[in-house]
Amino acid sequence: MKKKVLTVLLTGAMVASMAAGATVVSAEDNDNTLTVWAWDQNFNIKSMQIAADQYAADHEGFSVDIIETSSDDCQTKLTTAANAGDYSTLPDIVLMQDNSYQKFLKAYPDAFTDLKDMNINWDDFGALKQSYSMVDDTHYGVPFDNGAVIACYRTDILEEAGYTLDDLTDITWSKFEEIGKDIHEKTGKYLLTSEATGGDTLMMMIQSCGANFVNEDGEAYIVGNETAEKCIDLYTELVQNDVVKLVNNWDEYIATITSGEAAGIVNGNWITATLMSTEDQKGLWGITTMPKVDGVDTATNYANNGGSSWYITSNCKNVELAEDFLASTFGSSTDFYDAILPETGAISCYLPAGESEVYNEPNEFFGGQPIFSTIVEYSSHIPEFTKTPYHYEARECVNTAVVNIVNGTAKEDALQEAQDTLAFKMTE
Amino acid sequence: MTKKNKSAIQRRLIPTYIFLIIVSFFSVFPLYWMISAATNTSTDVSRGRIIPGSYFMENFKNLTSQQPLWRALGNSFFYAILTTVICLLICSIAGYGFEVYHDKGKDRLFSILLLAMMVPQVATMVPLFKMFSKAKLLNTSIGFILPIISTPFMIMMFRQNARAFPVDIIEAARIDGLSEVRIFFQMFIPTMKSTYAAAAVITFMNAWNAYLWPKVIMTDNKAITMPMLIANLITGYVTDYGMLMCGVLFCSIPTMVVFFVLQKQFAEGITGAVK
Amino acid sequence: MNSKKKGMTLATKQKAAGWIFLAPASIMIAIMSFYPMIRAFIISLQTGAGANMRFADPIFSNYKRILADKVFQQSIANTFLYLIIQVPIMLILAILLAQLLNNKDLKFKGFFRTCVFLPCATSLVSYSLIFRSMFATDGLINSVLMKLGILSTGYNFLGNATSAKIVIIIALIWRWTGYNMVFYLAGLQNIEYSVYEAAKIDGANGWKTFWKITVPLLKPTIIMTFIMSINGTLQLFDESMNLTKGGPANSTITMSHYVYNTCFVNVPNFGYAAAMSFIIFIMVAVLAFINLKVGDTRD
Repeated sequence: MKKKVLTVLLTGAMVASMAAGATVVSAEDNDNTLTVWAWDQNFNIKSMQIAADQYAADHEGFSVDIIETSSDDCQTKLTTAANAGDYSTLPDIVLMQDNSYQKFLKAYPDAFTDLKDMNINWDDFGALKQSYSMVDDTHYGVPFDNGAVIACYRTDILEEAGYTLDDLTDITWSKFEEIGKDIHEKTGKYLLTSEATGGDTLMMMIQSCGANFVNEDGEAYIVGNETAEKCIDLYTELVQNDVVKLVNNWDEYIATITSGEAAGIVNGNWITATLMSTEDQKGLWGITTMPKVDGVDTATNYANNGGSSWYITSNCKNVELAEDFLASTFGSSTDFYDAILPETGAISCYLPAGESEVYNEPNEFFGGQPIFSTIVEYSSHIPEFTKTPYHYEARECVNTAVVNIVNGTAKEDALQEAQDTLAFKMTE
Repeated sequence: MTKKNKSAIQRRLIPTYIFLIIVSFFSVFPLYWMISAATNTSTDVSRGRIIPGSYFMENFKNLTSQQPLWRALGNSFFYAILTTVICLLICSIAGYGFEVYHDKGKDRLFSILLLAMMVPQVATMVPLFKMFSKAKLLNTSIGFILPIISTPFMIMMFRQNARAFPVDIIEAARIDGLSEVRIFFQMFIPTMKSTYAAAAVITFMNAWNAYLWPKVIMTDNKAITMPMLIANLITGYVTDYGMLMCGVLFCSIPTMVVFFVLQKQFAEGITGAVK
Repeated sequence: MNSKKKGMTLATKQKAAGWIFLAPASIMIAIMSFYPMIRAFIISLQTGAGANMRFADPIFSNYKRILADKVFQQSIANTFLYLIIQVPIMLILAILLAQLLNNKDLKFKGFFRTCVFLPCATSLVSYSLIFRSMFATDGLINSVLMKLGILSTGYNFLGNATSAKIVIIIALIWRWTGYNMVFYLAGLQNIEYSVYEAAKIDGANGWKTFWKITVPLLKPTIIMTFIMSINGTLQLFDESMNLTKGGPANSTITMSHYVYNTCFVNVPNFGYAAAMSFIIFIMVAVLAFINLKVGDTRD
């Protein structure tokens, strides 16, 4: 009896595995279908779907097959496939974080198709945004969402301490520190929240000066880099004086905001979507420019953090179609950008889009500010800086240095260690 | 045994009960928190609210409207059950073979097989990917299960447990004229119910939670599994913690149910069967 | 003569049966693990990425690089600290729980067993979320400690090198004790009840029974869980990645986490990652085989 059961079970398993093996899932080779990897249902996936619908209106039979692939998964898949020298699993179009693209292009230059022949006016996008997806003078990506940095403040907490949004507009970090100390004394709140490991604040600070932790030759440049030292000094002081609440991870970062422990946040403008999900804080927030670094000639109140672009992979069978699709939607259509804004909140990098009416609508959550056009305006002022494939390594090294300094390591030693570690990681 | 005696035994067990209750509390608390988080709004979860709310249906609706929950559950069940059945079969035969027929050569082979689990998966992933790509096994369920159906760990578990399987039984069966294969299927498997149950729980759990390899070889929405679905929920620009926890709940329950169903087996396993 | 020949064929038959039984599993492991491992070893001798992979010059330069890599060295120290502190505590606790739950007079056994097992079935996402929020500066642990008057202000558990390591160890014990208990429970079933009854009549108390009977009879299982725990801890990844991101300042990063970063977070360097992986491999292998040699004798 038992044997019978077992036999049935085994045959069942065999048959099942055979059947499963036979159902090889593969996208049909349809000339008019493009496969796309993207990662946020409410944001870039929806935008891509709208783009496809608009394009399909004039191009019969066109469709996209969007495969939801989280941005980490996308990196893992791409890296594994590329390293195995097998691009056949890649989609036609892939969305990628701006900060990580340079490293892919360095490691796997032949995984992507260059866009030399694309019919698009590149200057409709900010110069900085373009540079994320460029190598030398060649374009590889079509810019999508905007990563312009904004500073968001809780106007009610500012008011409690006797400040207004204007007092925090176009200021320097030392002024910010002064106000922050005062606010902490009066209200017990922190003026800024920032992640200790994997946080972007220092990167935004140095990039707002048009600089980076690497020099023009791409070498590690922390020791002897006055701008870098200035940024690290300022940031460390903010931490030590209770102006910044240093948190350990993203959940805590969000929690300091939802709980009202922090009165401000400086990050890419995509952070507004998170703020807006805390509905009982409606009307309490305001946005303005980020502070600028003191004593640096090139310092500005503008930077970029995050954002992403669309890339055509070398596995794309119909490059012409993919290029035409991207160019006529993401690359040139204000109608398209007007359509996705209310649906997804995706703020474009396409500068002409910022002039339209949709972009100038007041936003209730931010006390009636027209935040969309403001953000597009900010994005035109962001200074360019030297890109490096080693973005994440640099970020890790300087964040480690700051933690060490706060814990009592001498600044020179901490910076030297950061410099050495980064230089080491850049060698093979 | 008299009633008095019984209650005396129970009284002596009081410290044990207290200890177990404390351990259970710590073990169950995160589960409770997960359930309660699944019934709250994202903001409440982020604010650390630990009492259940009334937002479960909303979270559930959001989840099912954004993600193919049923498909992911179905796929995960399919892969996990398939893996468990095949893995238990070939690993238990091997473990039995290593122990019952052990000699120097087999012991040495076993030591070598153990080495297979000691290299971090990340290192072997690229060569494995190349292999599977050549064999046209990317995007197939065979590709999903092949690397995990034979593990040194499971072989080891059956080998170590087979040590308690009395040699006399085998000898007696041989004298009765049973073939080696029949001894395994008719004597060993029923006797080792407890070991099989424990192995099934562990294998099911590992297959259910498998993530790194599946995500590398599966590039189709149709092949989505629960861990991939959860990953999709965390990655957006905004994390909806309530919805996330609702998804996590669906991802956790099956393993718990499997455990609950099978646990009786490995607690009341072989008593009687051996004699 | 005749009967001797027959005897030989029987022995040969049995021997053959043994090899046939272990063949499918062994062949699968050879294809799915050993072949990729050999390929990975070749990769560990190479530098570059993707199509530009080439043999390093000198050939062992990836291995040499480890000697200069302070972060990897730190990750080795961190990992071994986890190993030395966490594994013994966890295994002793697991045996103890299995022993308690194997008591035939105990009521609600099924309930307790399920409770103890639950942590390892709880999804990693929810458990890291809750550990992070519990140990946050304004989290549950701090609130309790402040109410008890032990702390006056919130302590940043995950932001301090020593306490972050302790949180990781607590998390590991929490998650894996029930998992190991399962093996002990299954193993205890193989110890016949009569053995215990005999011990009781001989007047042995619980503690003595535990050390004199349970532990020796569970030895094969204990060795197995020990090897598994060594392997699991030296390849530890989830906790480092999800609880602390390896921070603050790399004070909690594990070897596997660093290897992962080298492949998928930083500019990919699979050659170096493979070299580090083989160092981890050697460490696990040495410890596991000491374990096998010391404990795994058939008596």
